[in-house]
Amino acid sequence: MHRKAGIPFMKNVLLQTEALSKSFSNGGVLQHVLKNIDLQLYEGDFTVIMGASGAGKSTLLYALSGMDTPSLGKITFGKEIISELNSDDLAVFRRRSCGFVFQQIYLIDGMSVMDNVLAAGLLVNRDKKVLVRRAEELLLAVDIPEEAWKKFPAQLSGGEAQRVGIVRALINSPRILFADEPTGALNSKTGLDVLDTLSRFNGQGQSVVMVTHDMRSARRGNRILYLRDGAVLGECDLGTYVHGDRGRHEKLSAFLEEMGW
Amino acid sequence: MKRRCFQVVLLLIFGVELGGLFLFSAQDTENLLDSVAVNEERYSVQENWNRMEAHRGKTGLDYAVIDNAGKVLFRTRAGLSENMNQAVIHRDTIVDVEQDGHVVGKILIYNNGEELLVTRKRAAVVVLGTSIAVQAILYMSYTAYLNRRMIRPFQDMKHFARRVAGGNLDIPLEMDRYNLFGAFTESFDIMRAELKRARVAEAKANADKKELVAKLSHDIKTPVASIQAAAEVGAALAEHVRSGTAEKNVCSGGAQGQEELLLAGMGDNYLQIIRKAEQINTLVTNLFTATLEEMEQLTVTPGDMESGELTAILESADYLHRAVLPAVPDCLLYGDRLRLQQVFDNLFANSYKYADTKIDVTLETGGGYLAVEMEDRGGGVGSEELPLIKEKFRRGSNAKEAEGAGLGLYIADYFMKAMQGKLLVENGEKGLRVTVVIRMSGCDTAEQIKI
Repeated sequence: MHRKAGIPFMKNVLLQTEALSKSFSNGGVLQHVLKNIDLQLYEGDFTVIMGASGAGKSTLLYALSGMDTPSLGKITFGKEIISELNSDDLAVFRRRSCGFVFQQIYLIDGMSVMDNVLAAGLLVNRDKKVLVRRAEELLLAVDIPEEAWKKFPAQLSGGEAQRVGIVRALINSPRILFADEPTGALNSKTGLDVLDTLSRFNGQGQSVVMVTHDMRSARRGNRILYLRDGAVLGECDLGTYVHGDRGRHEKLSAFLEEMGW
Repeated sequence: MKRRCFQVVLLLIFGVELGGLFLFSAQDTENLLDSVAVNEERYSVQENWNRMEAHRGKTGLDYAVIDNAGKVLFRTRAGLSENMNQAVIHRDTIVDVEQDGHVVGKILIYNNGEELLVTRKRAAVVVLGTSIAVQAILYMSYTAYLNRRMIRPFQDMKHFARRVAGGNLDIPLEMDRYNLFGAFTESFDIMRAELKRARVAEAKANADKKELVAKLSHDIKTPVASIQAAAEVGAALAEHVRSGTAEKNVCSGGAQGQEELLLAGMGDNYLQIIRKAEQINTLVTNLFTATLEEMEQLTVTPGDMESGELTAILESADYLHRAVLPAVPDCLLYGDRLRLQQVFDNLFANSYKYADTKIDVTLETGGGYLAVEMEDRGGGVGSEELPLIKEKFRRGSNAKEAEGAGLGLYIADYFMKAMQGKLLVENGEKGLRVTVVIRMSGCDTAEQIKI
């Protein structure tokens, strides 16, 4: 997977938007949160969406992942035009093709770790044996040992719970993993574990789209988009993540400074 | 009179329909055979029973005669029922043939009731269908008539009122003299004309006033400049004399004289004059520029608007329907709805006024802009006039007979620039081609920054 610098690398477009706009009605006044966004997300990328509060980061994430429908414009995911799906088809699409990780982890309290993961899988895949095998692999991959699988969410630490959340998001092998401030509610150390987990899955080819306003998280992405007033103001190509790369941090800082961060 | 005719025709059609229905329901479908004719044939057969080969039908009924063994003794034509079974299925009339009190055979009389029924049904369908169709056509034409005569004039009035409210007083309200509201609407147009006259007069008075101010302020600048120059010379002189006196004092070793103090005070006064003259100069310059730029005080407050609003703007602007308006692609535009309406009102009105032809409108998106291109078939303007066409108070050579002030394109251009868009005017293949370039929201005028 080594990529030589300077040589253009053909990537498959996974998700594409054309003149995507989203408006909310606020007391009879239309507020335009996203404005004519033309965007392409590529397979295997770790795309990070940054921007000040209210720039439309989360709204963009929700529109891209089919959790919300755009007011105007077109979203193409693979070969499917998801902006034209009805809400039922959209729900099915979401289950199959998207994984979600939020700041709030939303594990179901009354179910064990394993059941939480399997519940998400059973919505799509009926073959429980295959599911259990995949769940076990993923849980081990995020350092949740076997003795923790029977635990309930309340018995987990914040970092563990978020890692279980990632496993749950990945159980259906989504084409894109969408993360909205995944480390927002975690302390520095556990946040790092979660970021390492995301980086590792991305290294294995998992496409990730993450919204964050945290530079430490943003550094993990290979492509940074900066949103302002509902439009992509600029983007920055950081290349594949390498741990402890000093230049990477400086490049990102310079980019954010130019964007008026 | 017309209305009465219409009512009579409708009543007539209704009557025909009612009559058709009545006739159809009153038709006797059971008793279709003439019983006298049946009896006549029966007796004739009974009479001729022993020599049936010589028998002939008398009444024109179609029938077959069979004996008890089922053998056909006689038939008026082929294709009739020839045994009891067929006759029963066909619902034919079956009559016994008797000889000396014994039944010796049957007459199977062909029953054409079904055919009759079918023909009658068909006739009824034709009659009812035609009358309903005529009725529908009448209703539709009446609706169209109402639409043309009442609804459309009112819509025209609505557009007219909107145009007038938007400040466009150039376009008269075109009304059919024979229209029901002709006289009524005429007064609206008179009102528009009066408003326009008042506005033109007001604009002229304003312009005159401004011209006067501009002229005066220019005239004031000249004497002020002289005062300033004179004061500078005075200040320099005072300084020169003062330094001379001071030297003298130093040489004589005496204290500062009365004369020196006086000269220093004079120098300060000259400086004061220079400063004040500069201030007057600045004020006059500001006044002068402000008067010139007053035209530009039309406020434009652009914001995000959905492209659907542009459709409404274009529809409203093209009130004579000279253009086939293409669908506006879904996107978010950056503009001022009111000003954009004025721009298009102006452009369509120009085309109506000078070219008076069909207008081809095309839309194109790209590079963060939506371009609306309008081209009429009026031949355009002379190439030497083209570069100046957007200037203030500039009118084309073909404009003599048309009223106007020569501000339309200038203001449209100003509005579009204020919305970060553009207005392009060029000669196309058939006529003047005007392109309104509207910025799309979120697409910055500057190139997107990439590292």
